[in-house]
Amino acid sequence: MFSGATVLLRWSLRSDAGSFWPHAARGLFSLVILFALSVAYANSVAVTQVGLLFFEAICGLNVLVITMCGISYFSTAVTEEKDAGTMALLQLAGMNPLAITLGKSTSRLVSSLMLLVAQIPFSLLAVTLGGVLWQQVIAAWLSLAAWMVLVCNVALLCSARCRTSGRAATVAGATAVLFFLLPHLISAAVAALPAGSLHPLLISLSERIPALMLEIHPLERLNEILFRWQSTAFLSSQFWLSLLLGFTCFGISTWRLNAWTRSGDDDELQLGPRFLRKAAGRAWPLAMAWREFHFFAGGLQFAVTKLLGGAAVLAIFFWLQSQDGQGYKWRLNDDLTDLALLCFAAELSLELLLYSAGVLSSELRLRTHSALAMAPVGTTRLLLEKMLGCVLSTIPVLFWIVVIVLVGDPQTVVLRERDVVLAWGIMLVFSCHLAALLSLYSRWAALPLTAVISFFAFFIIVVPVLMIPPTVDAVMITHNFVPGRLLSWAVTIFSTWLFVILPMQLAIRKRWLSLTIG
Amino acid sequence: MVSAGRDTVPAIVVNEVSHSFKATQALNRVSFCVLPGSIHGFVGPNGAGKTTTLRTICTLLRPARGEIKVFGSSTQAAPEQIRRRIGYMPDHFSMYRQMTVFEYLDFFAAAYGLELKERDRAITDLLDLTDMAGRRDSLIGGLSRGMQQRVGLARVLVHDPDLLLLDEPASGLDPRARIELTGILRELRRMGKTIFISSHILSELAELCDAVTIIDRGEIRFSGPMRILEQQQGAAAVWNLQLSRLVDGLLEKLEALSLVTTATEVEFSDGYVFQLVTDMGVTASQLLQQLLPMDLPIISFGRVKRHLNEAFMDLTTEGVR
Repeated sequence: MFSGATVLLRWSLRSDAGSFWPHAARGLFSLVILFALSVAYANSVAVTQVGLLFFEAICGLNVLVITMCGISYFSTAVTEEKDAGTMALLQLAGMNPLAITLGKSTSRLVSSLMLLVAQIPFSLLAVTLGGVLWQQVIAAWLSLAAWMVLVCNVALLCSARCRTSGRAATVAGATAVLFFLLPHLISAAVAALPAGSLHPLLISLSERIPALMLEIHPLERLNEILFRWQSTAFLSSQFWLSLLLGFTCFGISTWRLNAWTRSGDDDELQLGPRFLRKAAGRAWPLAMAWREFHFFAGGLQFAVTKLLGGAAVLAIFFWLQSQDGQGYKWRLNDDLTDLALLCFAAELSLELLLYSAGVLSSELRLRTHSALAMAPVGTTRLLLEKMLGCVLSTIPVLFWIVVIVLVGDPQTVVLRERDVVLAWGIMLVFSCHLAALLSLYSRWAALPLTAVISFFAFFIIVVPVLMIPPTVDAVMITHNFVPGRLLSWAVTIFSTWLFVILPMQLAIRKRWLSLTIG
Repeated sequence: MVSAGRDTVPAIVVNEVSHSFKATQALNRVSFCVLPGSIHGFVGPNGAGKTTTLRTICTLLRPARGEIKVFGSSTQAAPEQIRRRIGYMPDHFSMYRQMTVFEYLDFFAAAYGLELKERDRAITDLLDLTDMAGRRDSLIGGLSRGMQQRVGLARVLVHDPDLLLLDEPASGLDPRARIELTGILRELRRMGKTIFISSHILSELAELCDAVTIIDRGEIRFSGPMRILEQQQGAAAVWNLQLSRLVDGLLEKLEALSLVTTATEVEFSDGYVFQLVTDMGVTASQLLQQLLPMDLPIISFGRVKRHLNEAFMDLTTEGVR
C-alpha cells in the first residue's frame, strides 16, 4: 500500500520541483513580504511596535493565500486523475484509496508548507523590529499550518466527491466564502432586527453557529495571538479543532473514494430529464455565447435557480424586517439594504471570478481551442462572445441587485457612497480580466494569484482612479461648466478601460492566439 | 451535401516549408503537392513532422520559412478565406462531452455562420453520412470512441469544406470502426472532396489513397502517386514466376541467367513459384527473352509491386526523434 503512495508522492514532488510556477509563486510571495518589510521600515519613524504591524500584515496575507491555494491546488488532487481518465489505472495498479489520497495530497501539502517555511526567516525579523515575541511567531505559524491542513483536506474531500476539477474548485470555494461570511451575516442580520423579535431558539442558534465558526477562524486566532497574547494559550482550540476537522475530511475522502469514483463514472452517462436538455435549444448566431451560457455557466436551469434563490433570500430579508412588529413594508431599512446588497454583490463577484478563471482554460483542458480557431470567427469576437455568455448568466443576480436598489433605503451607506460602488466595479472588472489572463498560464493557480495581485492592485489602481471624478469636477468648474456625475464617471470609466483594462484585454488576446495559432 | 472539388488548381501546394521549435528542426524544406479530388496519404514515424505540417496547412501554425497554398490562396495572406474551405480534425479528441451530438454539430454550424435551415439540412445529411442519425440526442460523453470519431468527422464536414485534413483519424478505433471510416472517406472522395490524411495504418492507406507523401525527421522522402511508389524499388527489381508443373534443377538454371542476380523458391510453394531479382533497369521483355527459350510451363509472370509498408521501412530511418 505504502509503496504505491511513495511512488505517487515521489513523482508529484519531482514534477513540482521541476515546474516553474510553484517556484515563481514562492518567489512572488517572498517579494510581497519584502514589500511589507519596506512599508514597516518606512513606518518605523512614526510608529512603535513596527514588528507587530509587519507580522500582522504577513499573517493576514497568509490566510488569504493559504485559503486560495488550498482550494485551487487540492481540489484537483483526485479530480485530475478523473479528468485524465486514469483513476481506474491507479486502482488496477493495486493502489487502494488510502494510497491514492496520501500520494496525491502529501506532495501538495509539502509544497504548500514550503510556502510557509520560506517565510520563517523574514518573519523572525518581526521580533527584531519589536512588538512581537518569538513565541507569538511560532504560535501564529502553528495556527496557520492548522488552517492549511483544514482547508486542504476540505478541498481534498471536494476533489474526491466531485467529478471534475472545476466543480470541485467551485464547491470548495463556495464553502470557504460561506465560512468567512456566514458568522458576519448572521450577526449583522440579528443586529438589524429589533430586540425580542426573534424566537429564542433562533436567537440561540444565531449565537452558537457564529461562535463555533469563530472557534476555528484563523483571523480570530491570529488576533488573539498578536493582541491578547497574555490571556491566550500557546495552542488553542483553533489548532486542535482545525486538525481534527482536517483529518476527518481526509478520512471521509479515503473511506468514500471508491464509491464516489464509481458513481462519478455513471453520472457522466446520465442524460438528465429530457425537458432540461431541451432548455439549451438551438445554437444562437452568437454560437460561442450560447455555448458558454448553456454548457459552462449552467444555462437556463441554473439561471432560474438563481432567480428563485435570490427571491427566497430577499423574502427572508423582508420577513426579518417584519419581525419589528410593524408588519410588512415594501421598503427595506438601511441596515438590511446594506446587508442584502453586500450578499448579492459578493455572489456576483464570486460568480464572475469563477467564470473568468475557467472560461478560457476549460477550452485548453478540453483541447477544443484548435477546433474553435478553425471557425471563421475573429479572436476578438470569439473572446467577447465568451464574455457575453458568462455575463448573461449573471442576469438573475444583477436583477435582484436592481430590485434591492429600488426597494432599499436610498440613504444606506452603499447607495450613498457612490465611490464605493465605483471602486468595487473597477476592482471586479480588473480581477476578472486578471483571472482570465492568469488562467491561460496556470491551470489552477489563477484564482489565488488573482486574489494576491488584486489585493495590492487595489492601492495602485483604485486609489488614483477615485481621484479622477473630483479632478474632472474641478476642471469643469474652472471652465465655468456645471459639474455632472455622469461626465465624471464616464471619464473615469473610459480612462480606467484605456490604461488598465485594455492592456489586459490585449494580453489575453495575444496569449490565446499564441496557444491556438503558433 | 453540396459536392466540392471542382477546382483545377492543386488543392495543396507546400513549397520549401521549414519550421523549428526551439532547437528542434520540425520541418526542413518540405515540398509536395496534393491534387484536388484525391485522397492523399501522409505517413511518417512518430515525431517526423506530420502534425506540424498539417497545422501549417490549416493555418494554425505560421511556418518560419516557405509558402503554402490551399486552392491557390496563400495560408499567410488569406487564412480566414482558407479556413472556410478546409475542415481539420486534430489527432486528439476535442469534444464538448456535455453536449448532445445534435447540439455539438449545431454549435459548430452556427459558428460557421450557417442559417437555421442550412444547419438543419447539413446536420441531417451528416448524421446520415456518418450513420449517427440514431444517436442524434445522445450525450457525446456517453458515446464509444468510434462514434465520437464519427461525430468529429461530421463536425469537420459541417460547413461543407472542399479539403479535409485528417490527423490520425483511425487511431484507437477497433477494426469495424476503421473499416466504416474507410467507407465514409471513399464516399467523401466520390462527392468530390480532397482528403489529406495522416495515418499509421499503412495497409489501409495503401488501399485508400491515390497518392502518398512519406516524411521522416522533417524531410520529405517520397511524394507522388501510389503506383509510382509501388513500382519504385531501391537498387533491384523483384519478379514473380509461377509454373504449372515442377521442373527439375530449375533453380540452378534460373540463377545461371545473365540478367538474374539471385533466384529463390518462394517458401511453401512446393517448387511452383520462384522469385527473381534483377537490376532496376531490366524490363519484362528482356527477362522473358531469356526465360522463353527454356520452355517453362509458365502460368504467370510479373514484377512484384512494392508494398507501402516496405517503402515506408526503406525510406524512413529507425528510432524516434
